[in-house]
Amino acid sequence: MSSFKHTLTRLTITLLLLAVPVLGVWTWLEADRWHLWFPPYVSSYGKSIDRLFYVILWMVTVTFVLTEGLLVWFVFRYSKKSDEKAVYTHGNHTLEMVWTAIPALLLVVVAFSQMGAWATVKMNFPEDGPYTVQHPLMEVYASQFDWRARYPDAQGNFESADVVETPYEITVPEDVPVVFRLKSRDVLHSFFVPKFRLKQDAVPGMNIPVWFEAQEAGSYDLICAELCGWGHYKMAGRIHVLPQAEFDQWLAEQRAALKSTQ
Amino acid sequence: MRLSQLPGMIVRRHRRAALLAALALSFTSACGFQPPTPALTYSLNTPVIEKNADLAADPGAQSQLVGALEFLFGTPSGPRFLTMPEWVDEGFDPNFWGEDALKAEGHEAEWNALVASNRQRFHEQLDAIARGDLAAVKQPRYSDDLGRWWEELLAALPEGGPDSPYEDGTWREAAVKLFEEYYPSLATSAAFYHLQCYHCHGAEGGGNGSTSQFLEPRPRDYRPGKFKFTALKEKARPRHEDLFRTLAEGVYTTAMPSFRRFSDAQLHGLVDYVRLLAIRGEVEILLADSFAADEGLTFDAVKENYEFVVGRWREAPDKLIVYEGEIPAETPERIAHGRALFMTPGEQGGANCVSCHGSTGRGDGASAFEVDPVTQKRRRVKDDWGNEISIRDLTRGVFRFGRRPIDLYRRIYAGINGTPMPEHIGMAITENGAQRTMNEDDIWDLVFFVRSMSSHAPEVAQAEHGEHQAQ
Repeated sequence: MSSFKHTLTRLTITLLLLAVPVLGVWTWLEADRWHLWFPPYVSSYGKSIDRLFYVILWMVTVTFVLTEGLLVWFVFRYSKKSDEKAVYTHGNHTLEMVWTAIPALLLVVVAFSQMGAWATVKMNFPEDGPYTVQHPLMEVYASQFDWRARYPDAQGNFESADVVETPYEITVPEDVPVVFRLKSRDVLHSFFVPKFRLKQDAVPGMNIPVWFEAQEAGSYDLICAELCGWGHYKMAGRIHVLPQAEFDQWLAEQRAALKSTQ
Repeated sequence: MRLSQLPGMIVRRHRRAALLAALALSFTSACGFQPPTPALTYSLNTPVIEKNADLAADPGAQSQLVGALEFLFGTPSGPRFLTMPEWVDEGFDPNFWGEDALKAEGHEAEWNALVASNRQRFHEQLDAIARGDLAAVKQPRYSDDLGRWWEELLAALPEGGPDSPYEDGTWREAAVKLFEEYYPSLATSAAFYHLQCYHCHGAEGGGNGSTSQFLEPRPRDYRPGKFKFTALKEKARPRHEDLFRTLAEGVYTTAMPSFRRFSDAQLHGLVDYVRLLAIRGEVEILLADSFAADEGLTFDAVKENYEFVVGRWREAPDKLIVYEGEIPAETPERIAHGRALFMTPGEQGGANCVSCHGSTGRGDGASAFEVDPVTQKRRRVKDDWGNEISIRDLTRGVFRFGRRPIDLYRRIYAGINGTPMPEHIGMAITENGAQRTMNEDDIWDLVFFVRSMSSHAPEVAQAEHGEHQAQ
């Protein structure tokens, strides 16, 4: 192979490899502009989830750029030359210790820094608000391929004939910790509200408490994040967050509508 | 060399060409290249054709039937109703059935909801019109007709700009109105049906789409014109509102989900198209059943059956079960009376609910099952569509087509179309040795008893919740 052709191949491969980290970082930088990044959070614990995400993102970004850079450099520098023989090496003990110890340390950092967020979202349920694990605002039923909220009757009884049931649409009050119970009528589903940074599996036979506090009135997408059958793609819902007074009025209207004869 | 080795050999000999071809292929697929899909056609309802030996043996008459149906209802890509001259005089055009009904008096709430949902769906377009940035008005997805109407309106933009007079107001007002008061045409709704409904309900609405074989219960076959979930008596055809409600709320615990993620206009349009398919299917069945070899398919028969079926759908709004006044108070005495009616078998003069729903209300009564005449095996009862059905478990609190007392009242009042659930109003019963017919109060008592079965006192509910948590 002529030396010119060799150099050309070497350069092409190096540039192609270089495109991986460059494109990777570029898509990250540009994602926001193309509306491909996270939508802004509206829940009380959204900030802690995002912070955790960014901590991990920075860790992997640095690692990614570093390792990709090394890879590109090695490919360029140690490209095969026709008259050179490969060298056998046993490795470098110190180097191996370093690249095992640093990731281990990073994992410890991640493990400790996530504990607070996990406890907030999944363990420490609000106890002094109007809704608690014992007296939740509603039950949310997942079934193939439908989300349905059930609000108790005026006495707080969920096993009543006068529960308010709303398909597809789930209405909740703003600025109040909302506790609800998540159930499934058939298979595994997952209650995922991207703007709340909330994801919780619905497991048949389990009665799972979930909570969030929406800090901005509006309508948000709810999607199923667990492959639950052929119609999984269409299993969507909508969460309407209303100011408390409007919410109370809405619920009272829904309860009154049960008595309608129209 | 064997033929199967040929592709491998070509790739080995022409590596660069193969690589280039692979790249080109992945590039075109990445650019959204799609092979053309064949246009849908309506097929004949074969089981019905085969039932009539004369018609089954006459391919010529079958193609006449296809032609007649196409003359009345068009094709899947160009569906339409043939408008009869007398309808024109009455101001009725089935091609604008839903839209005209919504714009009529008494439907202001539904029309306003449609406008509000259009505002939400087209907010980007409306914002762009408000800004005057007409180039930024995007073509709406799934609404080819609206895109076309927008192009036409844009072409008619006066030289003086959007605020120049146009028709009754300004051009800008006309543009806003176009999006806000959008109601899809039958053709657009048919295209939307093919995207969203076709894979279960099939091109003709036969409930035989490719997904249907995996579903239990099976999707509705519209063609006999029967719909289970209506608020009407006398097994009437459903109203627009009934079908809309089924689309918006879904049929709970079946594969039919709520379709509220689409705009009101889209759902109203689907109702219109489903109505077209149901009418088309029923006309087809009536024509096939009445076909006789000596007469052939006559123009009069086609016209008569078409007018008859459309007439049935037109009278649906008059069949609503109306209950005047407030729902009566739910007293223990009334629940007890409802229980007595429910638990007493028909031969002892009761309402006979127990025979299917069972003494615990779980849908496991003796008549919920039968012995199959062919296989001699015990199986669930079948409905008019030939599917095995599960009798409602009344203790679960899942009531399709509404759980309000008035919904249950209407269910019991009129029965459920196409199923063993009978009409109860006027049903002969015997109480205290005297024969009489069931009246509205008896039906309310049954409603109250059914409601009591699906609910528990708070203390029982609390205890059950506690148990769940302990587990």
